[in-house]
Amino acid sequence: MPRRPLLALALAAALAALPSPAAAHANYVSSNPAADARLQRAPQEIRVTFSEPVDPRGSAIDVFRPDGSRVSTSSAAPVDAASISVRLEEIGDGGYLVSWAALSSVDGHTTRGTFAFAVGNAPLPAIPDLGPSSPAPSPAELAGRALSYAGIALGLGVPLFLLLVRPGDVAAARERLLLSLAGALVLAGTGLIVLAQGGGLPDRFAAALALRAAAGAALLAAARAPVALRRELAAGAGLVAALSATLVSHAAASADAAQSALDLVHVVAVSAWLGGIVALAALVLPARAVRDALAAAALGAVVWRFSLLALVAVAAILATGVLRSLRVLLLPQDLVETPYGLALLAKIVLLATAVALGALNLAVLGRRLRLAVAPERAKRGLVRTTSAETALLALAIVATAPLTALAPPAEPSGAAYDSTQHVGGLRLRLLVASARPGRDRYVLRVQEGLRPVSEAQRVVFRFTMVEHDMGESEVVAEQRAPGEYVAQGSNTAMFGTWRVETIVRLPERDDVRTVFSVPVGSDGASAAARVLSLGERTAIAFTDPATPVAGAPFALNVVLVDAKGDPVRGATLTATAISASRTRELRVSDAGNGRYLADVDALEAGAWEIAVTLEGRRAAFPLTVSP
Amino acid sequence: MWRALRVAAALAVAVAAQLPLTEPADAHERRSIGPYQVIVGFLVEPAFAGESNGASIQITDTRTNTPVEGVERTLTVDITAGGRSQALSLPLTTRFGQPGSYVAHFVPTREGGYSFVFKGRIGEQTVNERFESGPGRFNDVQSLAAVQYPDRVPAGADLGARLDAIAATAERTQWIALAAAGLGALALALALLRRRA
Repeated sequence: MPRRPLLALALAAALAALPSPAAAHANYVSSNPAADARLQRAPQEIRVTFSEPVDPRGSAIDVFRPDGSRVSTSSAAPVDAASISVRLEEIGDGGYLVSWAALSSVDGHTTRGTFAFAVGNAPLPAIPDLGPSSPAPSPAELAGRALSYAGIALGLGVPLFLLLVRPGDVAAARERLLLSLAGALVLAGTGLIVLAQGGGLPDRFAAALALRAAAGAALLAAARAPVALRRELAAGAGLVAALSATLVSHAAASADAAQSALDLVHVVAVSAWLGGIVALAALVLPARAVRDALAAAALGAVVWRFSLLALVAVAAILATGVLRSLRVLLLPQDLVETPYGLALLAKIVLLATAVALGALNLAVLGRRLRLAVAPERAKRGLVRTTSAETALLALAIVATAPLTALAPPAEPSGAAYDSTQHVGGLRLRLLVASARPGRDRYVLRVQEGLRPVSEAQRVVFRFTMVEHDMGESEVVAEQRAPGEYVAQGSNTAMFGTWRVETIVRLPERDDVRTVFSVPVGSDGASAAARVLSLGERTAIAFTDPATPVAGAPFALNVVLVDAKGDPVRGATLTATAISASRTRELRVSDAGNGRYLADVDALEAGAWEIAVTLEGRRAAFPLTVSP
Repeated sequence: MWRALRVAAALAVAVAAQLPLTEPADAHERRSIGPYQVIVGFLVEPAFAGESNGASIQITDTRTNTPVEGVERTLTVDITAGGRSQALSLPLTTRFGQPGSYVAHFVPTREGGYSFVFKGRIGEQTVNERFESGPGRFNDVQSLAAVQYPDRVPAGADLGARLDAIAATAERTQWIALAAAGLGALALALALLRRRA
């Protein structure tokens, strides 16, 4: 194959190594006062908490009266890593709008939103926009990310190939060229990201980019280093560059070390695979003739060793990809019903096809080379399949690039209750603003495929309490945005578990009905309440107190409801508390009317997992016992 | 005399005691339309899918507190299930022995929400009123499954849906079988050609 097309394909393959997206977004999680709160006394400050660390310099909170006059008197000040606040002038009774913008410290993305609150008996002002929005990254930012990730794949994958596969002599000039290209791509990509970001570069993001740029410079230096040092130096620089990608990823934003580790393994594995293909295609295949059986067997052995490396990489990509998908996807249908899922699915299909071609290399073409059976033909086939593999991966760029701009379905929301179901061909996401008893806001987002359903004739919420007979109440929702239906009321007026039936009436169709089980309690209890799926049953589990103290007794409460939200009485439920060092069976008693109780005398301080099992189905939630 | 009075009082108590049983106000919606008060709901509550039922309306003239008769000639009802635009339009019939009470018999075949739209006239009052099932009004139609014993028999609509699904599966299977047969024939032809070569 001519050198330039091969290099172009190799570059495209490297571009496809875009690690999955660093789509971190600082979303509104909570505020004081809460959204739609009605206060007796005017607040002196507004505090907003986000789903990940924010940079106060690029973040803002502005508070306005409905006439547009500003009542906030300071710029946003940090409260903690993920919270900012502003001071207010003395305000009286009335409705107020809070407009916020948050600059993610992790990746520099800005999110915006608005909420309202009222003091006294004044009406809540209408919210002028449609809530939080995450503007898509600019083309310059996308290009910057693509280029730098391509550099990471080349910078790490090529030296890994040379060190682990040991292909023998390769053209030093080509090797230096690939490493130089990797360094240049990392530097160019980083520069583009900085340009796209303008002046508002958060410190943490800037530090990660500086690290990446240093790694790019190290790759350039490695390209000129003596051969004895070149590959180790390049691999180290590539690893640092990969680490810089993880540092600005959504996994890093979650502050979960395990997620960051998964992300890093994913990036390294993708780089090893794609950089390896590029190295095989650009350094090995053009340089190896297979005129005799010995030469064919030698090339076959290289293909075999690379295939083993690729197999390990693919296994790691598969494992980390699945584990991460479980975190970012809510339902299997997300893959075909959300833009993020579709992009992910396209990437999966393309990578799976590339894996199939890799399997062909390993099982058929590589074997023929090793056995010297029609080696010339086998080599030509190998060139074709590696080219096809790179082309497929180039297509994966198209699928992967939007992932950086799209929010995953499981992105945190500011709602106290947030659950999604798929019923009657519709995707129904219920958000309940507060988990406190009393007036609340209920939002139903209705989607059919990728399309928001805006033609619903009627959307209603019906409320019944699980533990007590309080009758049934109903509130009719109004459409606030395409596919978003909102109602407010005091329907969940009591502590306990509420069965919220949503009914969506669409033209010429049966009503689509589904039931959500919503726990309502004090702030602490509601924060700790977990909705666990046990087959056709749902358990709402919470502890009292919400954060147990080491050595002190606490109660584990479980409310068990069926698919219709009705309490399940007389079930045999078991519960287990598991920590790193021990497992404790908890004695669960039937407290009647679908409620089950385990009185726990004490647990040691630390992280525990509470597992609940019903008829062989198991679900678990984490519990922290404070010292 | 006293005996006759006692008998009359007992009869009055007995009749009064029967009133709540015949009065369909338990899960029905009351509404004022001009000088008339109407009570609307299903004839039989709770209403089950697949069971004979009806849209009932009871009309009282609030000026005279008397039942309004003769409305079966001037009022009709449009019945709609879910979001369907095609309504079932039915005339009203009187209910024997219950002046001012009317019914349009029908069999609700789907569970869920129903709406009744009464159109026409009550006396001189023009009527076009929509009544929607729901809490505080009249009940939705429920599935029979919850109350069937000892065997659960699928409702007609469910059976129809299942038959449709089976037919669709059979059709898909047919296509798959045809494709498989075609592939088999192609493979056989290729094998024969290769053998000749």
